[in-house]
Formats: sequence, C-alpha cells, structure tokens
Amino acid sequence: MADRVGEVSVDVEGRWYRAIGSRIWALFNSLKLTIFVLISLALVSIIGTVIQQNQPVETYLSEYGERWTRIIFLLRLNDMYHSWWFLLLLTLLVLNVVVCTIERFPPKWKALLKENKGTAKPEIIERLSNKDVFTVDAQPAEVKARLLGIFKKRRYRVRTFEEKDGVSIYAWKGISGRFGADVTHVSLLVILLGAIIGNIYGYNDFRIVYEGGSMSVPQADFQLRLDRFWIDYYDTGQIKQYNSLLTVIEDGKEVFKKHIWVNEPLLYKGIRFYQSSYGMAWDRVKEAQVALKRKDREELDPPVTIKWGELKKIPDSEYSVRIVGYVADFAFDERTKTVFSKSADANNPALKVEVYRGDELVSTPWLFFKYPGLFSTIPDSGDDIVFTAFRPTLFSGISINKDPGTNIVWLGTGIMGLGFILAFFVHHRRVWVSVRDARNSSEIRIGGTVNKDRFTFEREFEELLKEIKATLPATGKGEVGR
Amino acid sequence: MILSLLFFTFSLAFYCITAVFYILYWLFKKRWIGQIATSMAYIALLSTTMILITRAGESGHAPFSNLYESMILFVWITNIGYLIMEHKYRYRVMGAFVMIIEVIAMLSTSLLPYRFKSVEPLNPALQSKWKWLVSLLEPVGMEKYAIGWLDFHVFTTFVGYAAFAISFGLSIMYLIKSRYESDGIRNILVERFPDSRILDELSYKSIAWGFPFLAVGIVSGAIWANNTWGAYWSWDPKETWSLITWFVYAAYLHARITRGWSGKRAAYLSIVGFLCVIFLYWGVSFILPGLHAYA
Ligand code: HEM
Repeated sequence: MADRVGEVSVDVEGRWYRAIGSRIWALFNSLKLTIFVLISLALVSIIGTVIQQNQPVETYLSEYGERWTRIIFLLRLNDMYHSWWFLLLLTLLVLNVVVCTIERFPPKWKALLKENKGTAKPEIIERLSNKDVFTVDAQPAEVKARLLGIFKKRRYRVRTFEEKDGVSIYAWKGISGRFGADVTHVSLLVILLGAIIGNIYGYNDFRIVYEGGSMSVPQADFQLRLDRFWIDYYDTGQIKQYNSLLTVIEDGKEVFKKHIWVNEPLLYKGIRFYQSSYGMAWDRVKEAQVALKRKDREELDPPVTIKWGELKKIPDSEYSVRIVGYVADFAFDERTKTVFSKSADANNPALKVEVYRGDELVSTPWLFFKYPGLFSTIPDSGDDIVFTAFRPTLFSGISINKDPGTNIVWLGTGIMGLGFILAFFVHHRRVWVSVRDARNSSEIRIGGTVNKDRFTFEREFEELLKEIKATLPATGKGEVGR
Repeated sequence: MILSLLFFTFSLAFYCITAVFYILYWLFKKRWIGQIATSMAYIALLSTTMILITRAGESGHAPFSNLYESMILFVWITNIGYLIMEHKYRYRVMGAFVMIIEVIAMLSTSLLPYRFKSVEPLNPALQSKWKWLVSLLEPVGMEKYAIGWLDFHVFTTFVGYAAFAISFGLSIMYLIKSRYESDGIRNILVERFPDSRILDELSYKSIAWGFPFLAVGIVSGAIWANNTWGAYWSWDPKETWSLITWFVYAAYLHARITRGWSGKRAAYLSIVGFLCVIFLYWGVSFILPGLHAYA
C-alpha cells in the first residue's frame, strides 16, 4: 500500500489552526514517521545496553568521570527507558499507529465489503497480471456449475452475477489476511497498556526469611513462612537447584504450602514470590557443637550438639550450656562496647553461651571457632568449653513482584500472534471470471490477483487454469485437452 | 563428547564442500554440479542432525544450552530453511550465498574456546521443563525427554535468526543485482542471479517467517523471565537487543510498503537487521554483561 501523505489535503480555506492540525495529522499518517520512530527506538535503546542502568551515582562516577556523569544524569541515561524522551518516542509510536489505523482501516473495510458486490468486468481482468482467455465447448450455465465446483473444492467463497449474454463470477479467499496489520497494531497498543498498568500499580520488592521465620508481605494482608530451604546438587557437585518450602499464613491460619524453586514461583492474591538468592544467617545458627575440655586432660570430651536457645546438660559433668548469640564475623566496638559482625561471611564465627554449674549461671563467654581456648570460659575451674562445629541457619532471598498488567500483556501477545498469522500467512486471493455466450460455446476470461506472495499464487493460478481446461474441453479439441 | 565433536568436524568439512559446489555451480552453471551441491547440502544437514542427536545423548538435555550448541542449531535450521526454499523455488545460485554463511558460522563455532564446547548440566535458571509435559510423559517413563521454556525459547528465536540469515544473503544479492540492472551493465555472473524482483520477494518471505518467530522467541523469553526473574521485561542487554533487532525488521516491513523506501533501502534495512542479529547473538554474549548466559 502506497504512503498516503501526499494525498491528505491541507485545508487552506480553514483557519490557521485547522491548517496546522491537518499538517500534524498528515505527519502522523505517514509511514515514513513509522520508520523513523522504529529506527529511533532501536538506536536509543542501544545506549541503554551500553550504559548500565539504575546504578548508584558512584558507579557512573568511577566509570565515566564527573563531567560525563553530569551529562548522563541530565539526559536520564541512567534510567533511560523511563526518561521523558523515551516515553515521548513511545507516544509518537502510539499516535502514529492510531492515526494510521483511523485513516486506513475504514476505507479498507468499506472497499472490501463493496468488492464482493462488484461484477467481473473484462476491464478489471485485463489489468491483472495473472490472466487468460479461452473458449470452451459448453454453455455458460454448465461452465458456471463446473467452475463453482472447482472453486468450492479450493475453498474459495463465490458470488455469481447473471448477465444478458453470460455470467460473471467473483471468487475470493483469505480476506481476513488484509486485517493482519491492523490486528497487530491493536495488539501493540494492548501490550503497551498492560505495561503502563504494571508500571503504575505494580511493585517489586525483596525480602530475606530465615528458616522457621516469617515475613510480612507489602500491601497485602497475609504472611509467608519459610519452613525449609535446601539446595540440590548434581553428582558432580555442581548446584542443580535452590528450593524453598513456603507456607502462606492468613489471619493466623495456614492457608497452603508450596515448594518453590528458580522457575517455579508461588502466586497468591496476584502477588508472586520467587526464589531469588540464599545465604547463611550472620546472627544466628541452627545448632552448634561444643565440647568440654577438662583441666587435667589433653583431649576433649565427646562433643554435644545444642540447638539455638536450648539448655543442654553436658554428660558426665556438672555443666549445662545454652546458646544465646552468634556472629559470623566477630568484631568488638571499643567505643560502644558492643559486639557486631564485620561482614555477613563466616570469617570469624563466634558463639555466645550461658554456662551453668548445676542451676547457677557462672558465665556468659564468647567462644571462638577459630581460636579455641583464647579466653578462659569458666572462671575459677580450669575447665573450658570449646566451640567445635555449627550448622548455619540458612535464609532464602525471596523476590516479591506484583504486576496487575501482566495478563493484559499476555492478552496483547496473543492478539499479536493472531495478527501475525493473518498478516504473514493468510493471503487475500481474488479471481474474477467472465463467461460469455459464444454460440454453443463459451468464452472464458479469467484473471486473478493476490495481496502478497505472488509466486505461490502464480503457481496456484496455473493449476486452477489447468483444472478448468481439463474439466471443460476447449472448442475443437474435444477430449484432447485432458 | 567425542562423538559429537567428531560429527562436528565432519559437518564443517561437508559445509565447506557444499559451499564450493554451489559456487562452482554459480560460476559454470552446469546442471550436474548443481545436483552434487544439493546432495552435499543434504549430507551436511544429516551430519549436523547427528551432532545435535549425539550432543543431546551426551548431555542428557536438548542441545540448546550454550553458545556452541546453539550455533549448531542455527546452522541446522538455516540449512533446512534454505533447502525448503530451493525445493520450492529452484534457484540454486542463492545456495552459494547461504552456504558461505553456513561455513562462516561453522568456522566461528570451531574457534570457540573449549569451555563453550564442553557438556554442562543445566544451571538452576535453565531448568524450566513444562510440568504438563512431564506429567504426560511420566506414565510411559519418558519424562526425561520433556522440554520446557528453555528449549522452546531458544528454538523459536533461532528459527528467526536462520530466516534472517537467509534474507541477509538474498538482500546482498538483491543489491548487487539491482545495481547491475539499473546501470544496464552486463555481467554473466550477476545475470545468473534470479530477477531482482524475485530476490526482493524471497527476502521478504524469509523475513515474514523470521519476524513472527523472533516475536514468539521474545514473548516466550518474557514468559520464562516472568517465572524466573520475577518480571517479564527487565531491559537486560539481550532482551533489549532482541527488541532493537525486531524494531529494525519492523522498519523493514514498513519500508517495503512505503513508496520511495521499498527496494534498495528496504534491502539495506535487512542487512542492518542481520548485523543486529550477529551482535545480539555474539556481541551481547561477550561484551555486555547481563542475565543471559548466552544466545
Ligand atoms: C509507528 C507505528 C506504526 C504505524 C503507524 C504502522 C503502520 C502500518 C501500516 C499503515 C501498515 C500497512 C497496513 C496494511 O497493509 O493494511 C502496516 C503494516 C504492518 N505493521 Fe505496522 N505500523 C506501526 C508499527 C508497527 C510495529 C511496531 C509492528 C510490530 C509488531 C508493526 C507490524 C506490522 C505488520 C506485521 C504489518 C504488515 C506488514 C506486511 O504485511 O508486510 N507495525 N503498519
């Protein structure tokens, strides 16, 4: 279809604003603008893949220096897919699609409806690139019946027109293919609508939960508990999968449980929860092993496993131990006299315990995994408690995502699929036949056209002709034509 | 791994031989050379199929999971696409251009560092088998053959890439041919090209396959990302480049129906589009950091 910019007349008689209005309209009715917008979108998107997006200022400063960072922030190149000029390009795209559709769809619709009523005038046939004229040994009525059979077999829809000296036939199929482009364009608008809704009403968040712990969900009235986190491995030791077992809790009641992994989120009340990362807690352990070192012996007693918070008696001794604290990377702040963890990694794990002799609390020392016996742990006894092993509490990193536009986007992609099938794989084929009475025989004038894929149609048209000539022997040749 | 690498070596040789025969056919226009060229293309196809099959057997999953495997998939689909086209339209000269692309693809694959060639189990994000398919195959004990988003996404994307590669070859031929036609210069080799009108039409037809397939690839990627990363679109470099590429081909489609833009300018857009594909495929994998491992 030719570009129609030139055909939109500017209303010279109208007021100046109407003149400007129709110029703008003409601009948006232009396919050259379409090409411009599409190429521009492609070009500017490249910037976004070269300059990292949504990083803290420091990243840009260290990579590009101060002057360029200023420019990057001025032009919003650090978040360009949400910048005003990117949105402007998208707006141009939308206006362009809408105006083109308004301009082209109604006339196309009307033309195609009217076409079904037209007759097969010989002049039309003359203009087609696929055409033929020949005479057959049959009356127009018989020719008509045969042709209708052939067209029906080929799934053409047919309209016939009786005329004084013969009959005209118009046969067509694949008319819906003409609307493929329109369906595609509408789908584009639907997808954008879904994206906008998602941007306005959706959110992204991230939470970590300890095994056994729960988390509250933003903008929702339910909670999530992590029952278990675990990792599957291949035989080779490579990680196969990260897994979390989650329970949804609403009004204090367990609603349901779901095992999630990468690729398998939990969906509840329009909010999705994804397995996103994991780690070891830096401020607690699941359980730890301690052993008693008696003052008169070199080797340790057999170690005892103690759960977090549990008070456990050490066998064959008067001591009991309770775990009350843990840090993964022990450090001590001299100023505030507090213990903290320098990092989240277990570089210097330390355990805080309460030691009881009988029922009496005798000390609350820190035990160092890497430095056993650094401080004496039980005053005035010479006995010592040694921290020998621990089982970390794991946490699971859960991404939370709510996007009420997602289903609209999927709807749009479905429509787009339909549009593509129509646009690329359904072709509008049209055949006109004019049958004229030529005294005991008929002159057949036939022509056909297609909106795309001319080669395939040329071949189809050849076959159609061959079949017609085989069913309706040409004059004088009798059955030889077969 | 030995077996698939062996078939790879065979295939590389077959593609070189195939390309040579297509070029000889173009130079001498002898029917029997053309028939040998076509037979060699089928042999190369068979051999490429064997790489994919042995590879799947060695790794235990569909062979689409790294750059090396996907390149073979690309070569395979391009070959199939070309052979279908040759069968339908019978213009063998186009084979010379397509097979040169195939040889370049195979050579660049063979130059990949070893870590790309080795068989790897799938990392957590790549395990995306369709549950309905698994449960369908489970009763007959074939659940390990179930496929999922990874396979679907990669396969559809690569049908797109392959169609674009063919269109790229045809567009180059179109530009050469139309230059000679418009200048009225006679050159026996260029005269053997199909008509520029035909080259343009076939190039469009190729893109008319590639464009929707790339779209399906992008959308299936979005569905998968929605299950894995928590959002259907995150402007990851690979995603963005696939959109860029897709926009360029959308521009091509619109250029073809615009007066003054059809013909040469459209052909240039098809070439730019394929350059985008190459960057999307190799450039992004090696240069731009992102969430995609490859492809
Ligand atoms: C700037 C916005 C756009 C405008 C104004 C526009 C306009 C048009 C027009 C007027 C046609 C010809 C209609 C016909 O043949 O009946 C067309 C065809 C088409 N458009 Fe668009 N378009 C735009 C963007 C897009 C985009 C982004 C896509 C990608 C999904 C797209 C996909 C198509 C397809 C598939 C066709 C059919 C092409 C063919 O049959 O070769 N359009 N477009």
